[in-house]
Order: sequence, then structure tokens, then C-alpha cells
Amino acid sequence: MQSNAALEYDYSVAKLFTFTTILFGILGMVIGTLIAAQLAFPELNYLIGEYGTFSRLRPLHTNIVIFGFTLSGIWATFYYVGQRVLKVSMAESKFLMAIGKIHFYLYFVGALLAVITLLLGFSASKEYAEFEWPIDVVIVLVWVLWGISIFGIIGIRREKALYVSMWYFVATFLGVAMLYLFNNMEVPTYFVSGGIGNIMHSVSMYSGTNDAMVQWWYGHNAVAFVFTVPIIAMIYYFLPKESGQAVYSYKLSLLSFWGLMFVYLWAGGHHLVWSTVPDWVQTMGTVFSVVLILPSWGSAINMLLTMKGEWNQLTDNPLIKLMVLSSTFYMLSTIEGPIQAIKSVNAIAHFTDWIPGHVHDGVLGWVALMIMAALFHMAPRMYKREIYSRKLIETQFWLQTTGIVLYFTSLWIAGITQGMMWRAVDEYGNLMYSFIDTVDVLHPYYVIRTVAGVLYLAGVFIFAYNMIKTMTSSRTLTEEPMFRSPMA
Amino acid sequence: MDIRELQAYAYFFMTILLVVALYGYILHLYRSEKKGEKDYEKYGKIALDDEVDSTPIESNPKSKSEK
Amino acid sequence: MFHWLEKNPFFFAVGVFIVIAFAGLITVVPDFAQSARPVAGLKPYTVLELAGKEVYKKDHCIACHSQLVRPFKSETDRYGQVSLSGEYAYDRPFLWGSKRTGPDLHRIGNYRTTDWHENHMWNPKSVVPTSIMPAYRHHFTNIADIDTAYAEAVTVKALFATPYDAPNGTKLGSHEEAKAAALEEAKVIAGNMKNKDVKDAVANGQVPEIVALIAYMNRLK
Repeated sequence: MQSNAALEYDYSVAKLFTFTTILFGILGMVIGTLIAAQLAFPELNYLIGEYGTFSRLRPLHTNIVIFGFTLSGIWATFYYVGQRVLKVSMAESKFLMAIGKIHFYLYFVGALLAVITLLLGFSASKEYAEFEWPIDVVIVLVWVLWGISIFGIIGIRREKALYVSMWYFVATFLGVAMLYLFNNMEVPTYFVSGGIGNIMHSVSMYSGTNDAMVQWWYGHNAVAFVFTVPIIAMIYYFLPKESGQAVYSYKLSLLSFWGLMFVYLWAGGHHLVWSTVPDWVQTMGTVFSVVLILPSWGSAINMLLTMKGEWNQLTDNPLIKLMVLSSTFYMLSTIEGPIQAIKSVNAIAHFTDWIPGHVHDGVLGWVALMIMAALFHMAPRMYKREIYSRKLIETQFWLQTTGIVLYFTSLWIAGITQGMMWRAVDEYGNLMYSFIDTVDVLHPYYVIRTVAGVLYLAGVFIFAYNMIKTMTSSRTLTEEPMFRSPMA
Repeated sequence: MDIRELQAYAYFFMTILLVVALYGYILHLYRSEKKGEKDYEKYGKIALDDEVDSTPIESNPKSKSEK
Repeated sequence: MFHWLEKNPFFFAVGVFIVIAFAGLITVVPDFAQSARPVAGLKPYTVLELAGKEVYKKDHCIACHSQLVRPFKSETDRYGQVSLSGEYAYDRPFLWGSKRTGPDLHRIGNYRTTDWHENHMWNPKSVVPTSIMPAYRHHFTNIADIDTAYAEAVTVKALFATPYDAPNGTKLGSHEEAKAAALEEAKVIAGNMKNKDVKDAVANGQVPEIVALIAYMNRLK
């Protein structure tokens, strides 16, 4: 193909995934807010009969946020960043274009099936791996298609050096592939028994303690490879590009990459402290969780130092504000995690609300803010229009920041209170509280958490509105902005 | 030699190997820059100058169209 | 060497894979055989219990309930003996959970009865006035899937050598025998219940989900 002036990046696949990011973002967080409210006001469990209880909706919430919102966000940014850092357009390869589109449509169909089957109660009951085997097969196919996309576009690249974001995308691809396959090793019972029972049903290849080890090796690292690695890929591209500052130390970014890759996978054992898995696995989980601070903070500090000398942008540009806050929350949750992994802290924290508190300052603070900032940055370039409203971004920023802070503070207090009450004994060594006492005391915190959820969700709606307005009715741009995203 | 002992040796030597590899990598990053063989920081520019017709930092000879 | 790796996407990917796969190999593999061993005297789940476990999975009880008594006095006082690895040998998947919005259930069979469960699942507030758990009344009308439970038992017996039909163990037998045995077990439980619909269903040869679930709960000791 002859290169000519008309050659442009082709964002059609990125736009498709942008759409699902917004859709699943709203869906996942509406359900999240509902189930948070159910803990404070149990009557809300009966809105849609057997399909509306906390227990049935909770896996929907987690799966939609992880595999709907976040994966869509990862793919929207990949199909955008991938072309740009490799300096090759998808329009140059009909094959890659087709793969990209099939990737999206298969994913969308799979996601809808996943939502329906979970709602109907088809579940393997392993956290974040609830899908039954037919859905797993679809997910594997989707993943293979993404692999073809990644290595296909790397194959025709003009820029020989792979930018560090690409490293992180490749690692996401490999990591999730490995984890997902091994954790979902299951046998469909219908075929082994010669056609008896439900065709959807399967049984895990691992049992008991082994299953727990594999599950939390997966569970922890699914978090790593969906909620951390690809989000770092995003921030390494979008923060420099939006601010016009090259990453502070490229060498440090490479070093933290290898550090993160190696250390993260060991830390799964911290979910199983004080359980029946071998002691050395638990200790290793604790030790590596603490070591994990180094590569995590390596990336986060690198991001903050990228803004060196340019901190004025923080006040001028709300997207920089979102991204800086996002990396700050990354630092917060990567110091909180290791603290919870320490055995004596874990004895109190495990099984309490402090754990969902920790997950949410990671996901609400780091993941979701970064994805939304990335989409805002991409919008003017993809739709050739300026961002609809700066004011709305500011409003969203403050609503969500307040939401996150209320969220994790209330759950910190709730978790530690309950953890301490479970173990409280009187002067004769008898337990002081019955279990229900420790539930009653949590009511105010559950209310605060619900309010926090509503605030954050309002921010997500504002984000969606702002994006859709940007796509449809904002002022058109004549040329692509270099760094800072134009906004009205 | 039972599996425990094997595990202990494997663990020990892998740890040493990885520590050496990690420090080797740090050394490599800084030494190659000092000796002028390679400037890692220039790759940071990839994100900033990323138009489809901008000049690649390092051209890929295998790509379909040369700039 | 390092530079070469950064330039060759394929070998780069292989390198990344080795680095990330290493940890899983070291943590999961060495104790695999030992961790799979059952404690002495552990019997596989009956078909009815498996059907109840399926209800437990379907409604995601693990979202709020753990099945793991940790080695602290406060936990053994509250829930009973510390959980042992071998007790879970026939749990596929494991159902430890990760959150106790409600109490641990690993020894629930020791201190709750069929009658208590019936009241509780119909209306949790009738036994625990400030409970925030939702009622699960659909368990009283939905019919448990005994066939799928049987298929699961056949599968684990064939593939993972779970000792069904061993002397003094859990009997599995043919499909018809297993269904009949499950119904017999269900009749005993329904005999201790007062819900009319449940009793009628069992008399007609059907097993409501609540009966299977209670069978599973009673087995957790």
C-alpha cells in the first residue's frame, strides 16, 4: 500500500468499545448502588422476585464491572493507543479491521448471554469466574481474537520499538489467558454422565483447598491483570499525551514492569491467610504482597513526577486532575492491600467490609477514573468534536471524589468495628457479642456507603451525558489537537 | 530427595537467578545509556509524537510502507 | 540480551509468560496431592445434598456466608471446631466465600435444625428480628434439579475417583435408584417441616429446592 496524505487512524472499533464502556459502566454501577442499598434497607431485595436478591445480583455487579465496563475500556483504549504508538492505521489492513469488528460483536453477544445466565442462576460459584462453561468458551474465543489483533498490528508496525503501554497490553493478554484457563478447568457433567441433567452444569477439576488456591491465584491476579496492568498501560500513554510531558523516567517504567510481572502473581496467597492452605503459601502471600509496594509505587511515582514543573495543569485541565487523582488512589490502594495482607491485620480485616472497601478505592478511584479520563481524551480525536462541557467534568470530578472518600472511610470503620466485635471477649473470656449485634452496628455505615454509591453513580451519568453530547452535538474541530483536549 | 527438598533448592536458585537478572537489567539500563549505545528516554517520545505520518523513533524495516 | 528481548515481540511475550507463570507453578503444584486428601471417615455428598449445594451455588450464598472456621478462639467459640483441609476434599468448587455479612456456615448442621431453616428461609426476621438477609421464598416452590446432581456425582466418581458405592460410604447406584434414594431422604426432611406446598410436592415425588438446601445445611457439621 502506498502511504499518502489521506491515511488516517481508523477508530471504528475503538468507538464501538467506547459505547459498551459507557453502557456497562452505567449498568454495573446501578446494580452496585442497588445492592449497597439492600444492605442498609433489606426491603429492596424484593424488587424483581427471585432475581433481585443481593446474592443473585452481587455476581452480576462484579462481573459487569470487571468484564463489561473495564474490559470494554481496555479494548477501547487498546484499539486507539495500539495504532498510535505503533504508527500504523487499522485502515491499512482489511484483515485486522475484520478481526477487530468480530472481536467486538462476539464480545457483545457473549456479554449479554453472560448477564442473562447469571441472572437465571447458572453459576460456577467461584468469585469472578462464575460463568458456566459455554460462556467460558465464548470468552476464550474473544480472547484469541484480541490476541490476533495485538500481534497482528504489532506485525505491521512502522515504529519498531514497542512503547511501554504495549508491553502492558501484551502482559494483560497473556496473564488473563493463563489465569482464566487454569481457574476455569471444569468438566461438563452432561457429557460425562451420558446426557443426564442440565447441559450448562459443570464441576470443577480441583477440589477443596486446591480449588481455593487456584481460585485466589486467579482472583487476586485477575485484579492484577484487568484492574492494574492495562490501566497502567493507559496512564503511560494518556497522561504524557494530555500534558505534553514525556514520561518522567522511561527506564523506571520498564523496571517496574518486570517487577510487577514477577511479584504480583505470588501475592494471591494473602486471600487465604489463616485458612487450610499450607502455611508457607500464606506466608509467601504476605511477604510478596509487601514487596509489591515497590513496583506499584514505582509506576505511580513515575506518573506523578511526569507532571514535574507542570503542576499548574492540574488547575487548568480537569482531565489531568482526573488522572493525577487516579494515580494517587493507585498509591493508596497499593499500600492498603499489603497492610491487609499482614497476618495479624488479616485476622481482623478478613471477611469484613474493609475488603470490599479496599477493592472499591482501587476500582472507583484508580480504574474507573482513569478509564473515564482516557475516553474523554479520545473523544475529540475520534469524533473530531471538542468535549461538550468542562463544567460537567468538574462537577463529575467532585461528586465522585466525595463519593469515593465516603465509600472507603465508611467501610474502613465498618470493617474494623465488626472485626473487633467478632473477637471481643468479656473478663471471663466469653464472647461479648452475638453475630447479629455485629450486623446491627453496621447500619449507619451501610447508609453512608449507599449515599457514596449514589454520588459516584451520579458522576457516571454525568460522564455518559457529556460523552454522548460530545459525540453528537459539540462544536466540530478542524484539526486534531496535539496535546491538551479542547473542551467547551 | 523428596519434593520438599527439590522445591527448596529450586526456590533458592531461582531467587538468586532472578535477583541477578533484575540487577543485571538495572545495570544494563543505565550503562547502555552512559556509554551512549542506547537512549531509553527517547522512547518516551513515542507517546507524544504519534501521528500516523510522524517519523518513527526506530523504523521497522518489515513494515509495509516506509516513511 | 535485554535489548534483543525488547525488540522481538514474540520472545518478549514468551519472557513475560515465563515470569508470570512461575509463581503459580511454585505455589499450587507442590502440595497438590496432599491437599486433595480427605480426612478419615469423610463421605461424599448424597445426591440430595449435592442438589442442595447447587441451590447454595445458584443463589450465591457465598456472597455473604463463609465456610471456613479460622484458628482463633473467638471463632471456635462461635462456630465450632477449626476447619481442616481434608474436610473439603469433595467440595467442587470450594465454598469458603470471602465475606461474612452473615455468619459462617461450615458447622451450621451442629446447631440449627430443619425447622429453624424453614422459618428462617421463609422469613429471616421471624428468627432473627434485625436480620438483613432477604427471604428466599422461591426455594419453597422451585423444584430442585436431582438429575443434574446425579450427573455431577457420576462425573466425580468416574473422573476424580470420588468413593461413591464404597463399603459404609455413600451409595449412588443407577439413575433410578439414586432418584428414589433422594426422594426418601427428602421425605424425612419434609416430615420435619410444616409448609403445606412442600409436603404436597414431596408426596408427589418432587423435591422443592428448600428441602435439598436443608439436606445440605444439615450435612455441614
